[in-house]
Amino acid sequence: MAAAMTSGMLRQGRFALRSLGRDLRAGELRVLALALIVAVASVTAVSFFTDRIGRAVEQQAGDVLAADLLASSGLPLPEGIEQAVAKRGVDTALHTRFASVVIDSDGESQLVAIKAVTEGYPLRGSVRIAPLDDPTATVSLGSQNGQPEPGTVWVDGPLVDGLALSQDEVLELGAITLRVAGVIDYEPDRGQNFFEFAPRVMMNAADLDAAELLGPGSRASFALLMAGDPAAVTDARDYLEEQYPGELRLQGVRDGSPQMQRALDRAQRFLGLASVVTVLLAGAAIALAVRHFARAQADAGAVMRTLGASRNEVIVWLAARLTLIALVASCVGALLGWFAQRVLAGMLVSWFGFELPAAGLSAPVIGTVTAFIALAGFGLLPVIRAGRVNVMRVLQNDYAGVDGSAAISAILGIGATFLVVWLLSGDPLLSLIVVAGVVIMLLVFALFGRLMIRGVRYLAGSRYRLAVAGLERRAASSVVQLAAFAMGIMALLLIAIVRVDILAAWEQDLPPDAPNVFVLNIQPDQTEGFAARLDAQGIDNKGLFPMVRARLAAHEGVPVLEDPDDEQQQRRARREYNLSFTDTLPLSNTLDEGEFWEPGDPEPQLSVDRSWAQERGFSLGDSLTFRIAGVDVTGIITSFRLVDWESFDVNFFALANPAMLEGFPATYVTSFRIEEDFTTATTGWAREFPGVATLDIGSIITRVKILMDRASSAVEYVFLFTLAAGFCVLLAAVQSSQRERIKESALLRALGASHAQVRRAVLSEFAILGGLAGALAALFATAIAFSLSRFVFELPFQLNIGLWVIGVVGGAVGISLVGYLATRKVLHTPPMIALKASA
Amino acid sequence: MSTRADAADTLIGTTDGAALAAEKSAASHAASHASGDVLAVRDVGKSVSGPEGNLVILSSLNMQVAAGEALAIVGPSGSGKSTLLGLLAGLDTPTSGEVELLGQPLSTLDEDHRARLRAGDVGFVFQNFQLLPGLTALENVMLPLELAGAADAASRAREMLAEVGLDHRAGHQPLQLSGGEQQRVALARAFVSRPAILFADEPTGNLDGETGRRVIDLMFSLRESRGSALVLVTHDERLAARCDRRLVMGDGKLTAG
Repeated sequence: MAAAMTSGMLRQGRFALRSLGRDLRAGELRVLALALIVAVASVTAVSFFTDRIGRAVEQQAGDVLAADLLASSGLPLPEGIEQAVAKRGVDTALHTRFASVVIDSDGESQLVAIKAVTEGYPLRGSVRIAPLDDPTATVSLGSQNGQPEPGTVWVDGPLVDGLALSQDEVLELGAITLRVAGVIDYEPDRGQNFFEFAPRVMMNAADLDAAELLGPGSRASFALLMAGDPAAVTDARDYLEEQYPGELRLQGVRDGSPQMQRALDRAQRFLGLASVVTVLLAGAAIALAVRHFARAQADAGAVMRTLGASRNEVIVWLAARLTLIALVASCVGALLGWFAQRVLAGMLVSWFGFELPAAGLSAPVIGTVTAFIALAGFGLLPVIRAGRVNVMRVLQNDYAGVDGSAAISAILGIGATFLVVWLLSGDPLLSLIVVAGVVIMLLVFALFGRLMIRGVRYLAGSRYRLAVAGLERRAASSVVQLAAFAMGIMALLLIAIVRVDILAAWEQDLPPDAPNVFVLNIQPDQTEGFAARLDAQGIDNKGLFPMVRARLAAHEGVPVLEDPDDEQQQRRARREYNLSFTDTLPLSNTLDEGEFWEPGDPEPQLSVDRSWAQERGFSLGDSLTFRIAGVDVTGIITSFRLVDWESFDVNFFALANPAMLEGFPATYVTSFRIEEDFTTATTGWAREFPGVATLDIGSIITRVKILMDRASSAVEYVFLFTLAAGFCVLLAAVQSSQRERIKESALLRALGASHAQVRRAVLSEFAILGGLAGALAALFATAIAFSLSRFVFELPFQLNIGLWVIGVVGGAVGISLVGYLATRKVLHTPPMIALKASA
Repeated sequence: MSTRADAADTLIGTTDGAALAAEKSAASHAASHASGDVLAVRDVGKSVSGPEGNLVILSSLNMQVAAGEALAIVGPSGSGKSTLLGLLAGLDTPTSGEVELLGQPLSTLDEDHRARLRAGDVGFVFQNFQLLPGLTALENVMLPLELAGAADAASRAREMLAEVGLDHRAGHQPLQLSGGEQQRVALARAFVSRPAILFADEPTGNLDGETGRRVIDLMFSLRESRGSALVLVTHDERLAARCDRRLVMGDGKLTAG
């Protein structure tokens, strides 16, 4: 019995295979095959891209932290912590940062920010070092050699300038002397420590003990850097959170830098959007193509049943052909997707500056599974119906369609769409929202489409009577096509908007005049001179802000350090904050809640960054006591601010009114943009204003911008597949009504219509459909673009009128062209043959 | 009697196709010899419900067709001839009465079993040919044999095409053939499995007089050489006259003509 069944299945498989060859020869399945290939290729390529670019972007973002994960503390790290995390499979390194003073060979001293690094630093990214006598001859040093040799130091440019250092000059640091081996051109994780006043001196941690700089109670920051396989990093993070709750400050790639975090999130959202839109479009093309296939095969199925095939055999015969075509298309699509991502990955190498990490093998599997889910969801029911049509149609010339219950079709289609989106996004809720959105959109398309077709009847003149009559005769089919065209055009328009408008807005989100230099530690008596110096150099600055270093002593009168033996409380109490005082709300701040004080208000008040308040559990009206130089000062929180940390302006977690902080020891800080070379612009500042620290953050901004550029370029390429999928939808929609059009064209010509008249009727019908679909598409694309920019990407929205022109005109011309190309063979076929074919 | 249904059950897959075809053919002829009729119709009626109530298309029809007999059913358009043909071949089910085809009461068989019964032992010729587009003439003729799993489908189909004089057109698609050629391909497809009974629905309806005459000559010649019974639905009296017997369809009833 089993052998018999196997033999039967083999026979049916062979039969289906032979039929497939005929199908492909006859062109019956070409559009379906094309739609499947595009679906698999796009999903495969998008998955490869998402995977590889995601890994690369994360890897590059990791540069900003010099690690994948950073654990830091104001106290020496617990014993054995490095070994414990290393056991979990991550690479490790340590650095210790603290302020100290170096003395050069002339006996001149300078406050510096020491960073003592161990072997392995930086775990991600590289340090760029140049000899002092040739600052342009930079070399990039990674984890193998990104540390100064013991006995040597690398120093910042301003220190070289300030102390007039030369190559190999010796600096005195604590109990030892160290030779200056290079100048630091770029330090990957410098963005983490904007507010280190002094110029950097990087030394090898092996010299730390001999320098005798750190003793018990020394103020320093101790950090453990970790990098490796994502699972191992997660494991290490879990371990640290469990073993040292609240004791260590943990920073991953995503929470390392707000700028980088947002860039990453947006890149992933764009890629996800591209992937989902591509699949939805390919699904629509598959749905239309498989429906066309089933309708075309219904008669063949009926004939086969008169010849003795059972319903199930016809269904299996049709399903087997679809399965075979899906298998062939999956192989071709996966191969195309792989080649596409190879070519693009090659291009991206030069952008990223390193070989993209290899992708997993899941991409082609996801592509193939997606195609099969879409095919099953959209194709199963039409195939079953084609196999079960009334066989009497062969005798009665009844060629009614095979469409049955729209509700069941809809449920299967929606189910398949949900599964596909879920497979790609991994987020069931998001999938549900996307599917609901698509269903509502298609329903609205259908409703609008019906109304529009009716409306056109009244507006069209006699010249277009034939075209409008064609639309009306196939009202249901016209509405389906209109919805499909609208969906395709809308996707293409969205690509245009997303590519041009949203990506541009994203890039503009980092303003071109964003400050690229921070100057810190300006003493009160230096402010006038420094401001004059900036004016003299034509540098436009946004003002000098007082900065007061303080520790949080109490919240609502409750001391932060209640229990002196509690290590966590100790760490919190030791943390220093930069406060400032002003009478006006800074430019890149918006008031979120409460009221900002009036100038001259005598009550001590505070305005706090909303996210910091949430993190620390502060409410409006709470009192905060800060300890400044041993003196406690208390203020009431009267407002919360939303701070645009991406602006790179000088910003503070806590702002006080002058009544609270004026009179306390303060230094001043400012930021501004310089267009010329940093070193050239700041030459002489260190000598003219001793103790003032200048920080070049231009390189950090540049890196963020480069990352955004690369991500947006990648997204644009990914959208090419969406374009191909949109084209498939148009082709499938044209194909779905081809049979009726062939018959009508042949009839018209048989009745004496000229070639030109028939062509004009076909072109007009497609143009009207395309124009209507374009208008609908523009409407929805605008609405979606608005929602995307407003709610998903959090970017300003600009109405694009050109979109409507492109939608309507492009729709009319594009659909006419695709439609004409698809039916031109018919138009040039003698009417008798066309009539025979349609019989 | 169970042999036929059992044999039909094995259409796809239990035994070798060629052996199956031979077995089924033998069973078919055994059945017809036993009763003398390949087709028997008893009190068959067909009605459909429409917007104006129940519409009776056929009422209480009775008839038999003996093995090898040629029967013509004539009548004006819309008299229900094609509906009757569908009922006789098991393509549709009657509202009342019983059709017994090749010894099997069709009411006892479901749609799939009726299809299996048709496989190999029933041939069809349609007014509009019903060749599958996209398939060549040869592939169309191979179709019934492939459905039955015959291993030598191609060679048998080629022989059959040669018999209808179209071996030189074997690789052509239906659209590349004239109407007469298409109907000859349809005849080759109908006879390739040596059916016990052939149902023909206005086989010359789409052909001009001369071409129609040649096609009919061919059909009768093939039928006689294979001993197949024929049920021919037509409104062409001259064509009906070539059959052994003639029934007239009118007002939903059959009368001897």
